[in-house]
Amino acid sequence: MTATLVVARWTVTEAVSRRLVLAAILLSAAFVGVFGLAFSILYGRAEAETGGDANFPVFAATLLTVLGLYAVQFLAAFLALLLSTSAISGEVESGTLHAVLARPLGRGQYLLGRWIASVALVSAYVVAMAGSLVLIARVVAGYQPVGPVKAVALLVLETVLLLTAGLLGSSFLPTLANAVVLFSLFGLAWLGGIVEFIGQTFSNQTLANLGVVVSLVFPSDAIWRAASYYLQPPLFLGEAVTRGGIPFAALTPPTTALLLWVLAYPVATLLAALRTFARRDL
Amino acid sequence: MRKAYGRQVALHDVTLRVEPGEVFGFLGPNGAGKTTAVKILTGLVHASAGQARVLGRPAGEPAARRRIGYLPEHFRFQEWATGTALLDFHGRLAGLPAGQRPARIAEVLELVGLAGRGGQRIRTYSKGMTQRIGLAQALLGRPELVLLDEPTSALDPVGRREVRDLIRWLREQGVTVFLNSHLLSEIELVCDRVAIIDRGRVVRGGRLADLVGSATALRVAVDRVDEPLLAALGRYGRVESVDGGNLTLLVDDVDVAPAVADCAVRAGYRLFELVPVQRSLEEVFLGLVHGGDR
Repeated sequence: MTATLVVARWTVTEAVSRRLVLAAILLSAAFVGVFGLAFSILYGRAEAETGGDANFPVFAATLLTVLGLYAVQFLAAFLALLLSTSAISGEVESGTLHAVLARPLGRGQYLLGRWIASVALVSAYVVAMAGSLVLIARVVAGYQPVGPVKAVALLVLETVLLLTAGLLGSSFLPTLANAVVLFSLFGLAWLGGIVEFIGQTFSNQTLANLGVVVSLVFPSDAIWRAASYYLQPPLFLGEAVTRGGIPFAALTPPTTALLLWVLAYPVATLLAALRTFARRDL
Repeated sequence: MRKAYGRQVALHDVTLRVEPGEVFGFLGPNGAGKTTAVKILTGLVHASAGQARVLGRPAGEPAARRRIGYLPEHFRFQEWATGTALLDFHGRLAGLPAGQRPARIAEVLELVGLAGRGGQRIRTYSKGMTQRIGLAQALLGRPELVLLDEPTSALDPVGRREVRDLIRWLREQGVTVFLNSHLLSEIELVCDRVAIIDRGRVVRGGRLADLVGSATALRVAVDRVDEPLLAALGRYGRVESVDGGNLTLLVDDVDVAPAVADCAVRAGYRLFELVPVQRSLEEVFLGLVHGGDR
């Protein structure tokens, strides 16, 4: 356990040393600032010009918040993939890993150390970003989503899934190949989500099933959809049944089966990574 | 041990024993399998067959690595870190108590000639300095066994000399040293025993003195070299090369020189020269190995 924490600490030191943390903090502050400003201005206009619809400001706030969080989800996903796809392969390729693994620590301890550090870094990012956006919406518009804590927790889970998958690939693939595979899977999952939405909207069962299958194979977008449900206020969700929802947000809460699947997925991926890496010749 | 990567066999059959406290030289051309063997010992590579034991434990177990220091072949280290930060990280992994770490880090930096340079980032180090920080890292945990894979490849002659002195100093401390090298002079100057590896097989091993001493030769110059002469000399040793009237006869013992002279003269040859030559490690080496990976 100590060796795992030594590696985790080293990984965080690396992120700080390479100014990754500083860059992330500065850019996130800028992102949150721009969101806050845009949200205030647009919500102000929505309140001023409701067009006779008393619910219009709430709908505007919902759209803006979900859009903002959707962007955060993409940023967090890229961060998770960038951190993880080269986490092990990069060290193997540069030859820096050999001296480290000749120390009295197991391969599993090394991999877990990197995993823990990456999870901590990316989770902190997601919580800070998503938390800030939800807070801005609440302060400016009194926005009350169904389950903000659940939503942020699911967003964290999505990044954990992505970075665990990245780490698995990194334990046996070269960095570039791994990055190509992971970004493609992420894109495919996104496409799967859209296909599923279209299938449901136009009651096309084949399309809907196709979307579901893709979501099961790589559930990053499925987790976003689960999170998106909790990001919307009850009023919007109730009206949306007749009015129609946002294409990339769910109108129904995630099923228990889905939640179990997306919880089991990173665990299985991590176990596979541990197994693959233990067997590898360096 | 045996190691195959798919159909490519890196080590056919390597059987070695290194005694505690000795400086063991593992000698071979590039691509002979030296690095693969050391990687099996450090657990970085899994042997396809056979087994290796390190300090009494199966190689590859973390516990077997507790008392070893290792300098990898390409000595690349995290460039974003300072020398001291790198050593602190390795010190923690090696289980050095927090209270001892700073003093021990200063000690090994001094030992490898990097005193006062620990605060610099490794990115700014020269190749030689990087190899030195690698040596410091290998010695950090007060190992009982040090595995050095080409430890002087990036060093200038002065640096090489310093590393030789360091290896001798380690031997005085009772530390076992496993030295991978293709630099014959390095091996010749510091090793007690050597094994020569070629294309994945150990082709010769033993005490350095025996290896060099056993391979003696007689340089013979006669008026003519013909079949009867070669047949006659064949009784005393192996004729290695013939060049006009000069030939080299490999013998087990130079004491056969008078008998060789007698034999040649009695058979009617005129003998101009008969010189015993001690073969250098280089000659032994070149006689045993193929061209390496060239």
